Amino acid sequence: MNNYLISISIRNLARQKRRNFFLGLAIAIGMMILVISNAFTNGISDVMFNRIMRWVTGHVTISFNEKGNIRREVCRDRERMISAIMESDGETVSEIDESIGTFAKAIGNGSADNIILVAVDLSKSVDAKKLKETEESFKMVEGSFYDLKRTDIENAAILSEEKARYLNVRKNDVIRLRFRNIYGQDQAARLTVTGIMKNSNIFMQPVVFSEMSNVRHVMGFRPWETGNINVVLKNPKKDAVALADRIHEKLTPGRAIIYGTLAYAGNSTPVAVTGYRSDNESLAKLAGILEPSGNSEIKKDGAFISAKLAKRMGINSGSRVLVNYPNKFEEKSSVFPIKITGTFNGDINDNLIIVNEADFYNAYYDNLPRVSPENTAPAFSLAETHPLSALLATEWILLKRTANTDELKKKYQDMGKQKWKATLVDVRTMYESASDILKLEGVLNIITFSAVLVLFFIILIGVINTLRMTIKERTREIGTIRAIGMQKSDVRAIFILESFFLTLISCLAGIALAFITMRLLSLVHFEMQDNPMGMLLIQNHLHFMPSSGGIVFNLLLILLMAVATAYFPARRAAGLSPANALRHYE
Amino acid sequence: MNIIEIKGLKKDYPLGATVVNALRGIDLAVEEGELMSIVGPSGSGKTTLLNVIGCIDHATEGSVQIGGREITALNDREITGIRLHKIGFIFQTFNLIPVLDVRENVEFPLLLMKKYSGAELHKRADKLIEEVGLKEFTKHRPAELSGGQRQRVAIARALVTNPDIVLADEPTANLDSVTGASILELMKEMNRVEKTTFIFSTHDANVLQYAKRIVKIKDGLTVQ
Ligand SMILES: Nc1ncnc2c1ncn2[C@@H]1O[C@H](COP(=O)(O)OP(=O)(O)OP(=O)(O)O)[C@@H](O)[C@H]1O
Ligand SMILES: [Mg+2]
Repeated sequence: MNNYLISISIRNLARQKRRNFFLGLAIAIGMMILVISNAFTNGISDVMFNRIMRWVTGHVTISFNEKGNIRREVCRDRERMISAIMESDGETVSEIDESIGTFAKAIGNGSADNIILVAVDLSKSVDAKKLKETEESFKMVEGSFYDLKRTDIENAAILSEEKARYLNVRKNDVIRLRFRNIYGQDQAARLTVTGIMKNSNIFMQPVVFSEMSNVRHVMGFRPWETGNINVVLKNPKKDAVALADRIHEKLTPGRAIIYGTLAYAGNSTPVAVTGYRSDNESLAKLAGILEPSGNSEIKKDGAFISAKLAKRMGINSGSRVLVNYPNKFEEKSSVFPIKITGTFNGDINDNLIIVNEADFYNAYYDNLPRVSPENTAPAFSLAETHPLSALLATEWILLKRTANTDELKKKYQDMGKQKWKATLVDVRTMYESASDILKLEGVLNIITFSAVLVLFFIILIGVINTLRMTIKERTREIGTIRAIGMQKSDVRAIFILESFFLTLISCLAGIALAFITMRLLSLVHFEMQDNPMGMLLIQNHLHFMPSSGGIVFNLLLILLMAVATAYFPARRAAGLSPANALRHYE
Repeated sequence: MNIIEIKGLKKDYPLGATVVNALRGIDLAVEEGELMSIVGPSGSGKTTLLNVIGCIDHATEGSVQIGGREITALNDREITGIRLHKIGFIFQTFNLIPVLDVRENVEFPLLLMKKYSGAELHKRADKLIEEVGLKEFTKHRPAELSGGQRQRVAIARALVTNPDIVLADEPTANLDSVTGASILELMKEMNRVEKTTFIFSTHDANVLQYAKRIVKIKDGLTVQ
């Protein structure tokens, strides 16, 4: 090893203490800013992805709006959704949360306020680590987190200090709630305050927590139903979009058909029932395809039976028929009463009844039919290209994927105009649910990048200038060592090593400074309860997350910059003719 | 045997639009073990001649052989190798490396040779430091030495590699006459003990008494 080169270059550094000190200081401060802004960006991103997003929307969300109603977030077939997620890429999934909750009016002791009732899953199926994390996120002032499990009181609930003060309730008091259940009916329930907590970020303020089974019960969920589904990923930034796209593909809806038995006037026969789109445009198209007989007209609230079937069963316009069908999730049948408004001649299917979508989906979503048509009716199928295909009911309507919040908002506005009767299913990622928050990360990355740039210029100008002066001052010395017999490459190495060590020492000092500064900054207590920036704090303190990989990367990058910058002046120094260098006179 | 053989050596320096003819056709042969002095007025070309012999400057024209090897066509790496292994330099302004102490300065050329162990380095350096009478000063940095002491360090450094030729360009010009005399005495002694060829330039007549042979140079030409 050329130890003596290293030794000489380090000793040379000590020769111009003042000059090197100032350049070193500049590099150290630059490095400090770089490390801090990096750790801060990491911290923010950790807060956003692993603390906020995780609780608020998950990293990928499948949302359901039944009958296009934004308040009715109901999924009627939980298992199907979960298997769609797992089949898409179960490997990347850390957990699947069911988001169940509702807006409600809460009445406390003499005052009322709006709240959001949110279910917390404390059942055995949730793993211990997650439960621990959940518990830790509840900063209890009064009562214990696990009191939510209590069954000796009615609907144990935890709420924030602010809400408790506003509603004028204490531990063990009862809050009365008014809200709409998943069937759209107004409902009342009682909650018993079992704990009061400090809210750690502004999202928590209006939230009242109760155990999952309580909330499911008061909202009317049956075991196979759920609300929106939030997927938490192991590596959200990497996998969220790809997973959402795959889930979206998997959730292409099939045709919504009820296979059952038609009963009329003592006779019965297998039948398939489906719905038709009831907007004016679709109605006009339907009239052409169905060829309704006699004076029957296709209307928004109609129900049409194939003319052949009507004739066979003696059914006329105005007849009330019953369709009995087996349920998907329970060993029982449901009855779908239909008032026939006309018959159709179109050659589609002889055992078909087509009902307006409002009535159809009411029956269909209340009790999903068993899909297999065995022993009931011959399967009803229709080519995709058939003109009727686009006019008949599907299991749900899958909204297009979007890339950001603006697109998502626009999508929902457009959908609002359509007055769909089917459930709208949307698959989205945090980039759409919360792109505004996530934009912050981009801004912070720009700040970090600027720090790198500034540092780069400090190094560029500082190192070049310092080396220029140094080389000028040491021209005769360069001549001497060349005359004595040092090779060009070694002379070059000495100058490069000098810049390298100056930068290395400065960077290490900068890193140390950065850690001291971060330590001090995280001791500062911020009161930002009402400021949205407050959500980026953790328990009112700044959150820094330095990554050793990032620091090493930055260090190497800067050293590389320094060496690259020093290379050219060093090469010039090494290239001096020894005779000229020796003659050099200041 | 001739350690140095120079034939028809010319050296031009471009100076703006004109050319300075510093050496204008020098023929010179130096025998091994000589103690030779080059004298001449200021600007006559002494430094230029020493630089060419010392392989730190190249000839414009003519032939220069060092130890029987023609050096005018060698590349920088080879030339540098010759300087390191065959030639020692003593400068008018001493030119020690300020960040190294006496012993490190003397060891420096040996380090560049990359063939000695630490112990060998110290042994060789210490022997020479003792010979130049600086045993007590091994840990001193150049700034902590007098001019004469610095020049002794330079002599030790020039001799440490056991070179064939030591070149000294006005080695006493920056010293008072007594110190200068002792330096020349030392060189004379080294020449006797080590059998190294010494060539020094001077324009000081007093210095000449130390030389076994004197070459006079004027306007880039030797004069007899
Ligand atoms: N780099 C150079 N560029 C142009 N001319 C030069 C250069 N170096 C030397 N000269 C010229 O070459 C001539 C010889 O110079 P040199 O330094 O060899 O003289 P010298 O005999 O050593 O003088 P002194 O006794 O003053 O040191 C002088 O006229 C000088 O001006
Ligand atoms: Mg001279």
